[in-house]
Amino acid sequence: MSTSTDALPPGALPQGGRPVDPSHLGHRNDATAAEREYTGAGAGGPAPKRIVVGYGFWIFILSDVILFATLFATYAVLAGNRAGGPGPHALFDLRNTAEETVLLLFSSFACGMASLAVARRNLLWTQVTLLITGLLGAGFLVLESGEFARMVSRGAGPTHSAFLSAFFTLVGCHGLHVTAGLLWLGTMMAQFWAKGFRQNIRHRFLCFTLFWHALDIIWVGIFSLVYLIGEVLP
Amino acid sequence: MHLLGQLSWQAIPFDEPLPMIAGGVVLLCVVAVLLWVWLKGYVPYLWREWITSVDHKRIGVMYCALALVMLLRGFIDAIMMRTQQAMAFHAAGYLPASHFDQIFSAHGTIMIFFMAMPFMIGLMNLVVPLQLGVRDVAFPTLNSVSFWLTAAGALLVNLSLVIGSFSRTGWLPYPPLSELTYSPDVGVDYYCWAIEISGIGTLITGINFVTTILKLRAPGMHYTRMPMFCWTALASNLLIVAAFPILTVSLALLLLDRYAGFHFFTNLGGGNAMMFMNLIWAWGHPEVYILILPAFGVYSEVVSTFSGKPLFGYRSMVIATMAICLISFMVWLHHFFTMGAGADVNAFFGIASMIIAVPTGVKIFNWLFTMYGGRVRFSAAMLWSLGFMVSFVIGGMTGVMLAEPTADFELHNSLFLVAHFHNVIITGVLFGAFAGYSYWFPKAFGFVLDERLGKWAFWLWFIGFWVAWAPGYVLGLEGMTRRLQHYDVAAWRPWLLVAAVGVLIILAAIIVQVAQLVVSIRTRASRRDLTGDPWNGRNLEWSIASPPPPFNYAVLPHVENQEPYWDMKQRALEAGHLQTPEPAYGPIEMPRNSATGFVCAFFAVVTGFALIWRIWWLVALGLVGAYATFVRFAWRDVEEQVIPADEVARLERANRAARSQALAVLAERVPTP
Amino acid sequence: MSSPHGLDATSDPRSDVGSSVGADRLPGEPAEAGPGVLASELRSYLLGLALALLLTGAAFWALHTHLIYGPGIMMAIVVLAVAQMGVHLVFFLHLTSAPDNINNTLALAFGVLMAGLLIFGSVWVMNHLNHNMLPMQELIRMQP
Repeated sequence: MSTSTDALPPGALPQGGRPVDPSHLGHRNDATAAEREYTGAGAGGPAPKRIVVGYGFWIFILSDVILFATLFATYAVLAGNRAGGPGPHALFDLRNTAEETVLLLFSSFACGMASLAVARRNLLWTQVTLLITGLLGAGFLVLESGEFARMVSRGAGPTHSAFLSAFFTLVGCHGLHVTAGLLWLGTMMAQFWAKGFRQNIRHRFLCFTLFWHALDIIWVGIFSLVYLIGEVLP
Repeated sequence: MHLLGQLSWQAIPFDEPLPMIAGGVVLLCVVAVLLWVWLKGYVPYLWREWITSVDHKRIGVMYCALALVMLLRGFIDAIMMRTQQAMAFHAAGYLPASHFDQIFSAHGTIMIFFMAMPFMIGLMNLVVPLQLGVRDVAFPTLNSVSFWLTAAGALLVNLSLVIGSFSRTGWLPYPPLSELTYSPDVGVDYYCWAIEISGIGTLITGINFVTTILKLRAPGMHYTRMPMFCWTALASNLLIVAAFPILTVSLALLLLDRYAGFHFFTNLGGGNAMMFMNLIWAWGHPEVYILILPAFGVYSEVVSTFSGKPLFGYRSMVIATMAICLISFMVWLHHFFTMGAGADVNAFFGIASMIIAVPTGVKIFNWLFTMYGGRVRFSAAMLWSLGFMVSFVIGGMTGVMLAEPTADFELHNSLFLVAHFHNVIITGVLFGAFAGYSYWFPKAFGFVLDERLGKWAFWLWFIGFWVAWAPGYVLGLEGMTRRLQHYDVAAWRPWLLVAAVGVLIILAAIIVQVAQLVVSIRTRASRRDLTGDPWNGRNLEWSIASPPPPFNYAVLPHVENQEPYWDMKQRALEAGHLQTPEPAYGPIEMPRNSATGFVCAFFAVVTGFALIWRIWWLVALGLVGAYATFVRFAWRDVEEQVIPADEVARLERANRAARSQALAVLAERVPTP
Repeated sequence: MSSPHGLDATSDPRSDVGSSVGADRLPGEPAEAGPGVLASELRSYLLGLALALLLTGAAFWALHTHLIYGPGIMMAIVVLAVAQMGVHLVFFLHLTSAPDNINNTLALAFGVLMAGLLIFGSVWVMNHLNHNMLPMQELIRMQP
């Protein structure tokens, strides 16, 4: 018996078997075979490797979002505990924050441009846009480490109070992720140069773009909820 | 600065006989095994076929093996605690307090993180790709990394027995006790780094399986045609992805307090110790559902197979599973009702905790209705499931009692609580693990375990568990708190003696299980599973040979409804011959073996050990080594190996011969209408 | 040659290796290169950049302006932050609710739900705990 490839009327029995989808849960019961195997529902067979790798990394980003959510929760709970030390008003330099935000945003944009270049297999533009992405990201890190150094030199280091511990950990964790991203970026540039636009390298690059955009999204959360709201609250 | 950080000869407890003897015995056994392996020439085989394997079946078996070994280790802790408490009435017992504290901490840590989790993950590894009708998980090399990182964590915990000490803070290190001020030794560090390292492995597993179940299924396998075990695996892995980052952060914050003088949970500097409890239980509650959901999946498989009927109420089972998945994130405060959040907060979480019992009840009814009207076969796996159903309901009901905040104020941290969670974990998770072990052992190894010894093991476990833990409920209601190294209340003594007897019965059960394994291996020639389907199974994993070829399916099956293998069988039985024609064989690409997992874990152990003992140069070396391993892995040019067409043909023809034989056996057993 | 992740081309007549029938899309993945595609994609990224800059500027501006009712400034910042995240998701990561993207959107929704439960749950619980359990807090805060 060969498996039928033609459309079956709804509720019909394939040769000798039980009715297809007797509970009529799938809303494509009436569709043709091709539509019924719509990959959006995963029933078209194993997805191509590109999808598998990308989706797996998307799930990893999810876990990273929850990691940052935990740090946000910790910051939200401990932000008021200053142990008599300086608070956001005394410490936050909003101009610096604005500069960091713009740098990271343009870095994200450059990364988007890089993904366009990779789709067109253009090595020159890929490397140029990736370099710009990296330089802007590095600029962000320079500003951020400068801010941290300034705070520590004023005696407002992370060991001073719970608020400062939470601040340094949340913002510092984001900075660590950016640093790891830059290392990854460098590796990607080297791999594109050494091995060209091979399929698995393009898959990894796709994961990198996801990572980089996600970092900018987290930064939006940080500058809004930590810096800006820190200024608003008493 | 010392070259070896805080490590010195004083770290080894030469003056304490118990850990020295225990450590010595373990070291001797390990050395003996390694020597035997080396002298017999098994090293190349082990390296090629197991250590560097990225095959989900091999990794699953290794996870289960790790779990079984850690079960013995954790159980020894249990025996020590029970005997101590049986003796220590108006007496000091034989375990000094600092040891007893380490023992109950190690017992819980090992049983949850290095026994229950690996067992469930191992079963999922072995079975899920087979049931989905695909060749491997989404990320096979990362799968290997996950396993070896888990093993690395287990190694670190066990090293603490002889080098330094383990934590004395219980299985969850509550501050301020776990802060540097009150736990200045390395015990808490051992705990934290071991869990952080193995936690990374578990998180990767979660990502791996969510991707596999959602994106890698056989053609035609809609969500509503997935086996129930895959649904529960999906829910469990979604919970892993969502919950394990919380654990990572919580322990990282504690480590920052300990190592860098931060003030998250300290008394000074504005720290808030209660935040640790809040965060750790926001992970901890989903964790117990991560453990129980795959066990529920095992029961669904076993009960439907051994009742000869499809699972009753598939849709409601799926909805109940996903409901448990979601609600498990809304109940975590019930672990600290008494911490003082007030009536409003307690009421919300108390009601949510009671609501989450409802979907589990739905599942129990569905299993009962599956059995009703079926022809129930009382195999060992079925006995484990029946024992679960009876015992878990009682454990669950005590859980609902504890979910009531005012009752919990009496029962919190009493033996009633301890009896409750041992009830649900042992009869829920562990019985499910044993059921899965009995059920899928033939698939993994090609021969069936001794059924008679399996049934003996079940009865001894079942009776032993109740003799050991029914007194716990009574003791809790009589006011005994947990973790007591000695006590003076005469009324408690008889119950603790009964409990000690119970643990001895469980010891007998474990000895029988070890015997079962040894005997079955010795007589494996006579108990070969030649058909690949020893239980008259219903799902796709029984449609291939035991053990399956490396590529699982030469041709991915096309799925047309639920329980596709059962349908295939019925149609083949009616027709009298195999239904699918012999396919045109082609070569198959499979992922290549990789030493990445093992080498990464090696550097993880080095880094973890160096961090624990504050050997900073070694930390740097370990991190560089781990990074270099990943870069080396990322730089390889050939990722896959090819299994040539004639090899595929040979293996598949053997499989088809087995299928025909199975058909003949079935035709004899089942009269065709 | 059949691969572990691709369909089996040797036997399944419906094998769709490499076909885009019912294919999923990935977040951040640009569409297949073709005529006119570059222009439309560039438009998407540029629009996203412009909107993000606008919203960021608005958030900083909201701090100092008198146009927003004082106690509502915090809410304005939160709303603007959510909008910026949305801009990133839609314009840079091309996230939609179409059937080929639904798994990605569902996963995101799941993560956002969990993160929300965690953050709001923690703040709610810890607020109550602090109120009930740490009366010394005010005393400590009052110290110089």
